[in-house]
Amino acid sequence: MSDQPSDDRPSDDKPSAVDFDPDELVMLRQLFRAEAQDALESVTSRVLATGSARPSREALTEMMRVTHTLKGAAGTVGLSTMVDLSHRLESALAGFAREPSPWTARTADELVDIIDALGSYLDTAGEPASERLAAGLRGRIDQLAHPDRVAASPSEASPPAIVEPLVEPVLEPAPDGAPVPEPKALLRIEPERIDDLMSSAGELLFDRTRIERRVQLLRTLARDLARTRQNLRDALGDGSAPPSRAAIAQAEDELAGQATLLSQTTAALLDEIEALRRTIGQLQQGLTRIRMESARSLMTHAARTLRALRRATGVHVELRTIGEDTEFDKAVAEQLVDPLTQLLRNAVAHGVEPADERAARGKPPIATITIRARQDGNLLVLEVSDDGRGIDTMALRQRLVATGRWTATRAELANDAEILDALLATGVSIRGDADELAGRGIGIGLVRQSIAKLGGELGVSSVPGRGTTFTMRLPLSTALAQAMLFKVAGQVYAIPNVHVLDTMLVEPGASSVTVRHEQVPVLRLEHLLGHGPAQGPGHGYGTERRPGLVVSFAGRTLVCTVDKVVGSREIIIKPLGPLLAPLTLYAGATISGSGKVQLILDPAQLVHRAYPDAPAADIVDPVSGPLVLAGRALVVDDSRAIREAMTSMLGREGWVVDVAEDGARALQMARQLRYDLVVTDLEMPALGGFDLVAHLRKDERYGATPVLIITSRVSPEHRRQARDLGVRAFVAKPITRRKLLEALATR
Amino acid sequence: MAELRNVIVFTLGSVRYAIELRWVREVVSLGFVTDVPTAPPALGGVCNHHGAILPVLDVAAVLGREPGPPPRQGDGALVIEAEGIVSALRVDQVDHVASLHEENGAITDAAGRALSLLEPAQLVRRALELMSPPSPR
Repeated sequence: MSDQPSDDRPSDDKPSAVDFDPDELVMLRQLFRAEAQDALESVTSRVLATGSARPSREALTEMMRVTHTLKGAAGTVGLSTMVDLSHRLESALAGFAREPSPWTARTADELVDIIDALGSYLDTAGEPASERLAAGLRGRIDQLAHPDRVAASPSEASPPAIVEPLVEPVLEPAPDGAPVPEPKALLRIEPERIDDLMSSAGELLFDRTRIERRVQLLRTLARDLARTRQNLRDALGDGSAPPSRAAIAQAEDELAGQATLLSQTTAALLDEIEALRRTIGQLQQGLTRIRMESARSLMTHAARTLRALRRATGVHVELRTIGEDTEFDKAVAEQLVDPLTQLLRNAVAHGVEPADERAARGKPPIATITIRARQDGNLLVLEVSDDGRGIDTMALRQRLVATGRWTATRAELANDAEILDALLATGVSIRGDADELAGRGIGIGLVRQSIAKLGGELGVSSVPGRGTTFTMRLPLSTALAQAMLFKVAGQVYAIPNVHVLDTMLVEPGASSVTVRHEQVPVLRLEHLLGHGPAQGPGHGYGTERRPGLVVSFAGRTLVCTVDKVVGSREIIIKPLGPLLAPLTLYAGATISGSGKVQLILDPAQLVHRAYPDAPAADIVDPVSGPLVLAGRALVVDDSRAIREAMTSMLGREGWVVDVAEDGARALQMARQLRYDLVVTDLEMPALGGFDLVAHLRKDERYGATPVLIITSRVSPEHRRQARDLGVRAFVAKPITRRKLLEALATR
Repeated sequence: MAELRNVIVFTLGSVRYAIELRWVREVVSLGFVTDVPTAPPALGGVCNHHGAILPVLDVAAVLGREPGPPPRQGDGALVIEAEGIVSALRVDQVDHVASLHEENGAITDAAGRALSLLEPAQLVRRALELMSPPSPR
């Protein structure tokens, strides 16, 4: 392969060669996956942007850069198959960027498919089945740029169309009870949003200083008042002599001045409190915003789904999108992917008529599906409309009766809106046969269920002959958390998982137990939450060992006994509202899969009840101990996974690490703060590594600062530039702790 | 001076109440009611209402009378909004909607029987006060 983009070959480094704790590696890989999905997404959107035409050279180069970054990051987190696959993809893209590889209409589709498949490979990377997927992908990627090589094996000539997702139901029916636990999700946040938060936090400091100054003034005033009182007492004397009129008049003057000052200070304090309230509001808004993302990624996903459907069914549908900038909770967005896919399939399978039928009705031959996102108060509204035949409510009536769901009388009496509601509730299909696309008529019912799980509602309206609109109304933000669920007196409660260390069995009647060599109190939740021990005979509160949760908050541990431990689940936290706010035992509530409210206990209150004599102010999370400092390091890389990996490795060596995602940002940071070590990638958007170092060297503070370069390619030209700029060492990707330590030790 | 009020008349225990329509957002049949331990008797429980947590109040207990039975799934309730707080009032039976004359705070139905006219804002403020003292252990 002469058109290799770089001279490095995928290395044989095994994950074991990566120097991370197992937990840390899991976290880094999770980060990498999130980042890789973003990178793949950006390649896809560039391909989709040009339709089936050849992307511009710049676009191709950018795609190469993205895949190259992916390769480096994959190596660092020890995913060698992914290194290989991204390497091949980069080569294929290089083939297109350098012209010889022909770009046909099929190339775009195939490329999008491959990237989708890479995405699904990433989700399962490490499992045995994924390696088969990887093997298939290798061949497909290599063929992409060299379709001529295919001729030899005609059986493999046509790459398998992605039909699997069309056959599988998108949504698994959720079992009753809480949703299945999922791995803890990490949140990706744009740096500007953090900057906003930081500035609000800075504002809080100012607010505090101003308030402290007023309080100081009030203290002085209190002292003055005491003095005036003393003067007044002296002036009145002990009754042996007439009171001194002049002294009383003077005290009165003083009092008048003090009263004015007091009212002024109170007014000023009220102003400060108002300012404080504003700042806290900003902070709250900022915190909400960091969980938000625009509807754009959902729309891109919809475009891709429709492309896949077109290839599978031959039905051509135009997509129109409105309100792509509408922002909503990332967690909500993720949960909307499946319902949206199902609605699109439904529209293609049921909604859109064949071209000749459309022509007969005087409609344009190609149907349009419109996805519209908008914000309505504190609700997010997502509408999916088609301009197809609409829902035939008469046929639906007949189906409801034929399938035995409704009686004939009921179907006859019901109006159209009720009939449409029944469609949502039962998901009965209009078509008699179980057709493959919309999946046996269970699709809509499941969409409704997953929307309900998010605390939202699904609605449908339809005009016969004109089209159908499904409307999803969702809360703008939801807070997802892992929580431990348990039962007391027949009700299910939750405690956030971060505060639950363990579960154990507690001896009957024990008022304290030993947890990790420490005596901790037992809090009987069946007494606190149940109706006392009067649970009837045979319940045996007093004679059997009971399950207990080891709860820890702010450095204090206790064991809460319960009736039954249900297990760990992902829950959506709902506020209790102003009326219930005074009930401090509860931190919120969640809604189970079957629609029941489950209360969330506040671990701070549990600690408070188990340690009644501890002052509340005492219950604060402890601050971590001071660090032995090696110095302050700046890590510059456009891969978040590499930034995190470096932060962890350098952190363990005693460095305080700041990170920047490109050279321009790094330069800005280096001017504000002095760094003792700079570790930078070479290829980055905005400002590359060598340019960054060149700029830094012009600044006298950075004349001799050690610089390490992280790279996957070291050409003689690189070595020359590095020498000229006084770079201390290169660290080759994938980065290991040993390589880093060697580079740091270089003189 | 008599004033015409548009009210919903409902029965709870042996008492007939009237509440002005403008406070009532919905007449519902309650979903599963979750008991809230440590709460005062004025709070009958909470339930899921369009994905939000809806407190269910016992009107009698809020007014300082003998609390009724705890609310259960399928019970009738009026969802009201007052003082920016949405809550549900459990009812035994919704009688009818009517335009009735109010005279000096007294209101009577067509048959001349006296009704107890609820002031939702006061009711909610009172409920909030009952909620506020530290809950019993």
